[in-house]
Amino acid sequence: MSRVSRQLKFFNKISSTTLEPQVVLNGQKYSGLNLTFQYQNHNGHMGARKFWREYLPTLQFYNPQLQFQVTRVRNDNKNDASVPCTLEIIGQEGVAVDQLDMRNKQGSQIMKELLAKIEHTRVAEPDIVRL
Amino acid sequence: MLSRVSSRLVPFLNRYGTRNLHVFPSVRAEDTANSVVSKLSKDQLKKREIRRLAQRKAAARRPASDHPLYMPVMKALRFLRAAEVGQPLSQQTLSLTAMVISERGAPLLNGNLVLPKALKDVKVAVFTNDEQQARMAREKFNCHLVGGSELVEEIKQGKIALDFDKSFATPDIAIALASQLGRILGPKGLLPAAKKGTVSEDLEALLSDSMGSLPFRQRGNNVSIAVGKCSFTDKQVLENIVAAQKGIKLALANQKTKKPSLLGQTTLTSTHGPGIVIDFA
Repeated sequence: MSRVSRQLKFFNKISSTTLEPQVVLNGQKYSGLNLTFQYQNHNGHMGARKFWREYLPTLQFYNPQLQFQVTRVRNDNKNDASVPCTLEIIGQEGVAVDQLDMRNKQGSQIMKELLAKIEHTRVAEPDIVRL
Repeated sequence: MLSRVSSRLVPFLNRYGTRNLHVFPSVRAEDTANSVVSKLSKDQLKKREIRRLAQRKAAARRPASDHPLYMPVMKALRFLRAAEVGQPLSQQTLSLTAMVISERGAPLLNGNLVLPKALKDVKVAVFTNDEQQARMAREKFNCHLVGGSELVEEIKQGKIALDFDKSFATPDIAIALASQLGRILGPKGLLPAAKKGTVSEDLEALLSDSMGSLPFRQRGNNVSIAVGKCSFTDKQVLENIVAAQKGIKLALANQKTKKPSLLGQTTLTSTHGPGIVIDFA
């Protein structure tokens, strides 16, 4: 049963065991998030990638109507720090209403700062999907 | 002796790092992996095959909802979209894989199906010198490329990109096509040929049959069909799944076997996502 239990763990990671992003964002105010960062980790882009991998699936799961877009840029030159590492909060009109710099931050810190900036309500206990 | 070898190795190690030392054991491991043969006799292998077929049949008879990874399609889509978040749109394909349980030696399951919401437009090229057929292809079916001998010449010279997925021709041009473009279209499987059923006097019947239809075939014990993108709405994906179900059922009914084949466990999955068992039968 190892294959099945591993899969269930994967599902639960999306829907129930990742606690911080179990929030419903204000759908009337926001239409989504845009993330921009590098493929490569250098110049402090690792936290952004971890945020995408660890927290964004849960956020999408509880906000199916919102659009989350990730733009990754290739940059092999370690001395070139010009690539932005930003998270934009997109309003209902399709323009960025707020911005968050993700450079040199860990994924969990980015999540905390995002929750401080954005209007949200926590998902009620009975609505959390557990497998 | 040993010290002599190691003293000889030192500059070698310094130059290339210690990693090179692993070359020798890994080569030996490969040798042993290739030489492993099954210890079972032919008789035992045959018995094992029969046993496994029976197991697969028994599994197919159980309802899909008994499986621990079973989910209704809507819930499965929610999980798949979450798993696929932030990936490039072109890589977010949803596909459906159904296990086919058939007797030994049964012909492979294959067929055509039409999805209500196609994943991409099928580009069709039509080769004909008949003005009437060409006009019909252009106006009625809106084909990507339509032309006669002049089109053949242009493709031969490389003026036109080969970006179509299917091609059809009338018999008057088929021979010229094969001789002039056989080397170019042949390897891509795009050369119209009477044997494939893509050459006909009346292109209208041929085109209306194949417009938007998607061929599928069994590979191993499974049939796999791409049924959607994550950006499709739930309704569109569901309609596509129902169409795929109809297509596969039709192919099963038309399969020439003594005993009808069964459909086993069916999973819905996405490019980067997990496989989720859905109810398909």
